[in-house]
Amino acid sequence: MDIQLSALALSAVLLLIPILIFSELKIPLIRTLLISFVRMAVQLAIIGLVLQFIFQQVNLWLTLAWMTVMITAAVWTVLNRLKFQRNILLPVLVFSLLSTTLLIMPWIVIVVIKPSPVYSPTFLIPIYGMVLGNSMNSCALALERFESNLSDNWKAYYTRIIMGANQQEAVLPAFRKALQTSLMPQLLTVASIGVVSLPGMMTGQILGGASPLVAIKYQMMIMISIFTGVSITDYTAIRMYIRKRFNQYYLPQNKEK
Amino acid sequence: MELLKIDLESLSFDGKELLREVHLTLKKGDKVLIKGATGSGKTSLMHTINLMNPNYIGTITFHGRDIRQYAPDELRSRIMEVMQEPWLDNTNCLEALQEPWTYAIHTKKHPASFGTETWKQKVNNYLEAFGLDETYLNKPVSQLSGGEKQRLALIRVLQFEPEVLLLDEISSALDQNTSSIISSCILNNFSGTVIAISHDPHWQNSWKKTWQIENKKVHLSEV
Repeated sequence: MDIQLSALALSAVLLLIPILIFSELKIPLIRTLLISFVRMAVQLAIIGLVLQFIFQQVNLWLTLAWMTVMITAAVWTVLNRLKFQRNILLPVLVFSLLSTTLLIMPWIVIVVIKPSPVYSPTFLIPIYGMVLGNSMNSCALALERFESNLSDNWKAYYTRIIMGANQQEAVLPAFRKALQTSLMPQLLTVASIGVVSLPGMMTGQILGGASPLVAIKYQMMIMISIFTGVSITDYTAIRMYIRKRFNQYYLPQNKEK
Repeated sequence: MELLKIDLESLSFDGKELLREVHLTLKKGDKVLIKGATGSGKTSLMHTINLMNPNYIGTITFHGRDIRQYAPDELRSRIMEVMQEPWLDNTNCLEALQEPWTYAIHTKKHPASFGTETWKQKVNNYLEAFGLDETYLNKPVSQLSGGEKQRLALIRVLQFEPEVLLLDEISSALDQNTSSIISSCILNNFSGTVIAISHDPHWQNSWKKTWQIENKKVHLSEV
């Protein structure tokens, strides 16, 4: 069932409530609230038109081009968020997000869903959005944890290498902790799904008229893809980061003053 | 043939030249103390030998082969270092000794050594020589004093009987008595080559061979 534009506008009436709360408590956020919601409406409107166009065309190159836009935006977002070793992060992020894309997406569309044609943007783009968005967030967290584990404990690192540890052995504790920290919340989400919240994709499908029994199957596949994608991204990102972070004598390089 | 041969035109740290024209050699079993003022380049010189400071112009050979041609883990498993303040994980002492056994380079060279009778005997000998005993192995590291930690860190390295041992001011936080025990134990019980830095007068008197750093030069003296 579609929503009429006039009806949609009426949903905005609800925003009067937070605005009243803000003005009663004199919280100086009313301007920000208005700007945020206008931005949201404009952004979604544009994205809606673009996706509508891409979905109608069903063109392989157009779909790939849009996926490139998505991954570029993801890399850019993480680059802006992380405040350390920025000169080595670009290749790290491109490599890790790309390897996730190339491993997960073909499996999902060629082996699991098998839409026709196989590159149907209706399937590829929303699923890719979920995998990419989660990978992007988790990878930022994993790299941040890894770097801070290292720099909080250089003495441990140096002690290992002066006793004969190789590069991999010397960073292993930091590597392990970083992956644990970044993957743990993912696993908690997986375990709690359905009970508390219905995930976005499933909500969308059910509202769009799909049967809940179909929607949960997609949801299961999505959860598996997201978790695997996140694991691949975090792992390859840290691997690549190690190669750029240390020189051939296992000594840290690119020290930021 | 010399075990270690150092021929440096220049050596720097953090972009600052510390030493020039350094020509030194060491034979198997030599024990040498590096002396010099703070900031004169003692640690930097020591750290060129295990590739922890690769900022030098010149050549250092170990068994006649340029150290830069060794894999760093291979080199550092044969030239092992103990730092001024040792790093030990929050485990018990036995597990602390086990840490370097998780490195492939050691398990490759001494297969199945950790925990064997020969290994226990060796570790007990060192514990005894350092004035500790077997009961320490079950103690948590957090309960050790500074001096006990330093000795444990030494045994963690000595259990591999490295060809060269580098000691970077390991006595600086220790009381006079412990410091002397460690010095004489290294001179008498360890047959390998040792390069040490120490400000302790006891070490300075009992180590016969010294490298004295003065005005960017290293002077060799043997009593």
